[in-house]
Parts: sequence; structure tokens; C-alpha cells
Amino acid sequence: MLNKRIVKIALPVAIGALALSACGSDDSGGGSSGGGGGDGSGFTIAYQGPLSGPNAQLGINMENGVKLAIKEANESGDYDVTFEYASGDDRGEPGQAASAAQRIIDNDDVIAVVGPAFSGAANVAAPSYGEAGITALSPSATAPDLTEQGFPTFLRGVPNDGEQGAAIASFFAEQGVESAVVIDDLGDYAVGLGNVVEEALGEAGIEVQRESLPADTVDHSSIARTVIQSGADAVAYTGYYAQAAPLAVKLSEQGYEGIGLGGDGVRDPEFVNLASGAAEGWYLSCPCRDLNEDEIGQKFSEAYEAEYSTAPGTYSPEAYDATMMIINAVNELGDSADRASVYDAIAQGEHDGVAKTLTFDETGEYAGSGIYIYEVKDDEIVSLGNVEELVG
Amino acid sequence: MSFHDFWDVLVLGAVLGSLYAVIAIGYTLVYGVLQLLNFAHSEVFMVGGFGGVIALTIFVPATDPSGLQSIAYVAVGMLFGAVLGGTVAFFLEKVAYRPLRRRGAPRLVFLITAIGASFFLYNLVGKLFGRNPMPMPSMYENKTVVTIFGSTISVTQALILGSAVVMLVAVDYVVNRTKLGSGIRAVAQDPEVASLMGVNIDKVVSRTFVLGGLMGGVAGFLFGTTNQVFYTMGFLPGITAFAAAVLGGIGNVRGAMLGGLTLGVVEAFTVEVWGDAWRYVGAFAVLVLVLMFRPTGILGERVARTA
Repeated sequence: MLNKRIVKIALPVAIGALALSACGSDDSGGGSSGGGGGDGSGFTIAYQGPLSGPNAQLGINMENGVKLAIKEANESGDYDVTFEYASGDDRGEPGQAASAAQRIIDNDDVIAVVGPAFSGAANVAAPSYGEAGITALSPSATAPDLTEQGFPTFLRGVPNDGEQGAAIASFFAEQGVESAVVIDDLGDYAVGLGNVVEEALGEAGIEVQRESLPADTVDHSSIARTVIQSGADAVAYTGYYAQAAPLAVKLSEQGYEGIGLGGDGVRDPEFVNLASGAAEGWYLSCPCRDLNEDEIGQKFSEAYEAEYSTAPGTYSPEAYDATMMIINAVNELGDSADRASVYDAIAQGEHDGVAKTLTFDETGEYAGSGIYIYEVKDDEIVSLGNVEELVG
Repeated sequence: MSFHDFWDVLVLGAVLGSLYAVIAIGYTLVYGVLQLLNFAHSEVFMVGGFGGVIALTIFVPATDPSGLQSIAYVAVGMLFGAVLGGTVAFFLEKVAYRPLRRRGAPRLVFLITAIGASFFLYNLVGKLFGRNPMPMPSMYENKTVVTIFGSTISVTQALILGSAVVMLVAVDYVVNRTKLGSGIRAVAQDPEVASLMGVNIDKVVSRTFVLGGLMGGVAGFLFGTTNQVFYTMGFLPGITAFAAAVLGGIGNVRGAMLGGLTLGVVEAFTVEVWGDAWRYVGAFAVLVLVLMFRPTGILGERVARTA
């Protein structure tokens, strides 16, 4: 039979080809990293973050920022090289992070990565990026321990949660809070932020009760009851908006009248949308400034809105800045740019961006500060200003 | 734990448990007639939730609905939840299971088909309506309707408890007192003899799916009123409701009700005492314990064949 004969011939050929290509990729992986730059034409900047799953909106905010930067750079004509975009969807989950990172690493054209966006995913993916020598510049992963583990190429472009925790505590103290419930979602980011908030509140003399609400919880009435029964006059939720919204709904349904506060993972218009009214009066803390404050910010907002017909979300400008920093570094290095030299240039460089000026210390930690407090008013997230000014 | 706390937690558990009970009916009825673990039932529940939310997003224009409007909204949501749930269950049986039944496929094939159908459905919904949660439009002001022993019951809680009781009484009546019910019971006991006695097996099976689907769909909508709807929302409640059906005695309608309520209440007390992270640990420890001593569930497999 013809079919059988074809299979007989095709099978060894296919296996042989597979074996050959496997060898091939092994070689090029170690040797000519960033080979795409050889002809001086194109470099790829990748982004790793959640593009699907319950917290996809936070990831899409950043992806849009990355894409906008690449588009502007290519269209400006100011650069000798062109840039392309590649995405790595990790759903924001540690379990998906390694394979998302591997896909990016295996793409020889990738010169640097913006991300991983979430702390849990960053913890898993950062060692792989380190091994491959690819810069992983996260615009948003705020768990303090990420820069304490000596990941060779991980850079954080945002103040970490240690600072955010202290800011939340001083803000609560200013509001006259005497006892608070801190709720995490058992994930890396939420537990990390929860720990620092709990510690800072304790130091401020505020009584703390700690609770955990797993991220896949579907029934929030019990935790709402726990909060109300505790008699606390403030609750701080340190996870992401997808769980914060039903929590806010249940709290208001059961008659909670105290303060509600969410971290940067909650600061997204989707939180307000999903909580349909129950988010009113909630405070949100974020190491990200209000873009309406000055002209650079407004200009960015306009460009973003023109491209995506929606306002920039949390960490859109931070992702844009990170991408622009990579673009500038690659451009300065020109044709000689490879994964290693780009990392050196960024780690020691400085970039005056839309959100802030990006510089890093020797551990890859962002060398700057600034936590801002927002409030949900009439279904809008409104800036109250820098926490240092608020607390005075 | 004070008496007031106890009562509070009991109410939370009963609300949750009554939803489990309504979903569990769908599992147990289908198991009764086909000995099939219809894992795609959790997706019937999910689709019902989406049906309700989408219908209401279209129909609810007012921000402060009057009392009459509120009732109409709830009715619309339930109707769309039920219709979509029933429709999906109907086609599920027709497309996924009936061809297998015709060819006398082994049990394992049914099980794999059920899991496949579940994956297909939730990914389809995720593709069509996005993978972000969708909020339920506010249909009424969620105030307290009644206070018992110092613990309050909100409109949503009363709505869920009330509709669950009505549905459970109705399904019990249908199974025990109507012609369709005797058909269901006959097929459950012995399909061959039932068909010799003039029962149209295909028709009974199809209607059993639809009956379970209607209830699952309404449960999806009710679930949406207290939370949000999202494409994977069927998974945890579905598995828990399936466990509830087994706990009560799979194939047994009253067993499913009892199992659902038991699991809901145990969950609520577990969370109260040890926190949310222990929720399913407590509930499923009870499941394992009960099955150790009563492998056929609390009430036994009454409707199903014994052999």
C-alpha cells in the first residue's frame, strides 16, 4: 500500500529532522544570543504577563504600554534599528510562568523582556531569564523578596511592597484606624504585601487580624462575616481585583461601614466595574502616580487613548517606560547589541520616563520611591496624592 | 461560638448548600437513569449564569428599580438562566451522549465525553464572552428582609433560599407524582423492562437532562446574584454539588438535597472556625468519613438500580 510506504519513509525522515533541529536550537541558544540583531535590522522585545485568566486586564494594560512604545519608536524615525513585539501569556500564574518564559527564551530574536508582570510568576521565571542572560525588567512585580534572591538579570522598575506596606500603615494611622483585618489570597504577591502591611500596622500600634482568602474562592460571604464580626474599622485586601470586587460587594451587602483598601493589584477600573457600586469609597494604594498631574502624563494618556480607545490602566505607563528604556539601550549599542550588553546598559543606565525616572541599585531594585493613594468616587478612581503629602 | 454566631453561620451555609442541592439534582437525576456521571453539568450551570446576566444587562436600564421592576428583573434572569440551561442540557444529551448510547459504548467513553464536553463548553463561553468576570446588574436594593435570632437575611439570601426550596419541592413532586416521574423511576430501575412496558426511553432520558438543566440554569443565575459570572465558575460548585449528590446517595433526589445542604453548612462552619483556606478540606473530610461508613451515601441509592 502506498500509504504504508509513505509512512515507512516519512517516519525516519521526520525523526531525523527533529533530532537535527533539536541540536540546532541547543547550539544557537548558547552561542549567538540575540542573533536577530546581526543584520542591523530588527530586535524583538517580549512581554510576559497575564493576557488571559481572571486578572487578564492588569496584563493587557501593560501589554498595550509595551506595544505603544514599540510602535512609536518604529514610527518616529529616530532609531537606526526596528523593533518587534512578542508576547508570553502566563495567566499571572506561577504554574504557567516557566513555559511562557521558555517560549520567549527560545526565540533568538528576543533581546530583552518587559515583565514578568506578577510576582509569583516572576519568582518562577526570573532564574530562567538569568540563565539565558536576558534582561527581565518588571514594571509591576512588587514582592520584596524578588531582589533578595540574586537573580542575575532581574530588574524591578517599581517601588517594592515594603514601601507600600509602610505607606498603607501610615495612611490607616492618619485615618484614626485602631484595628484592621489584612486579607491575602495565598499567592506570592498578596502574601508578601500582606506580611509587610501586617508588620507595619503592628509597628504603628494598630491591632491586626490576618485572614487568607484563596484566589479561587467563589463564596465570599464567610470572609465578609469574619471581617464584620472582628469589629475592625478597616480592611486591607492585598490580592488582585477579581477577588476584591466580590469581597467589596459582600462587605457592603452585610452592612460593613469601615474603611476598605486595596493594593496596586486592585487599582483597576475593572474593580469598580465588577463591584457595581460596592467599591464606592474604597482606597487604593499604588506605587504609580496619577498621569493627569502634568503634561508628559497627559500626552501619554492621549497617545494611549488614540491607539486603544480606552484610558491607560495601572502600570500601562510603567510598561511603556520599561520598553522605552530597552529601546534606547539597544539603539545606543547598535549592531553590537546582544542580550548581555543590553542588560549591562539597562542595569547601569537611567531613563527619564513618563511615570518616573528609572534607575536600579546593585540588586536590581528600583532606586527611587513614591506610593500614591487613590479613592473610588462616583465610579472613578481619583488620586488623593502621594502618601507622604497625605500623612504629612 | 455564641448562639448568634452559630445562627449566622448556619444561614450562610444554608444559602450555599441550597445552591449545591439544586445543582446536585442535575447530577443525580442523570445518574439515576443512565448511570452516567455527567461532568458537563457544571457547564450547564455556568451557561445559565451567563444567560441571566446577559439578559439583564440588556433589559435593566433603570438604576433605581421600583419593587415591581425588581421582581420582573429577577423573573427575567431566572427565565433566561433556565431556558439556556435547559437548552444546553438538551443538546448535550442529543449530541454528546445519545450517539454513544446507540452504539452501546462502554462507561469510560461516556465519562471522557462528559469531561470533553465540559472543556468544550467553558472554553467556548470564554471565547465568546471574554475571560473576565461579568458583574450582575443591580436588580434591587439588597436590604435586610428579616432578622432571625439577631442574624439578618438579605434579599439575595432570601431569594436564593426561597427559589431553591420551591425548585426542590417541585422536582420532588415531578419525580414522585407525575407521569414523567414514573418514567424516570422506571428507566432507573430497569430500562429494558421499562421499554417493554411502553416507556419511551429516549424521551425520558432527554427530558431528565432538560429537567436537570432547567434547575442548573436557574442555580447559575442565582449564583451570579451573589457573586459574578465567569467562564470557569462551574468548576468548584459543580464538583462540590457532585460530591453532594454522592454524599446523599447518588441517584436519589432527596439524598442530593440533603447532601447539598450538609456540604454547604459544613463548609460554612469550617471557614468560620479555621478560615477560608480550609474550606474544602473540612467539607471533603466529611464526605470521605460518611462514605467510609455508608458507601451508598446518607440516604442510599434509592432511585437507581441496585445491581
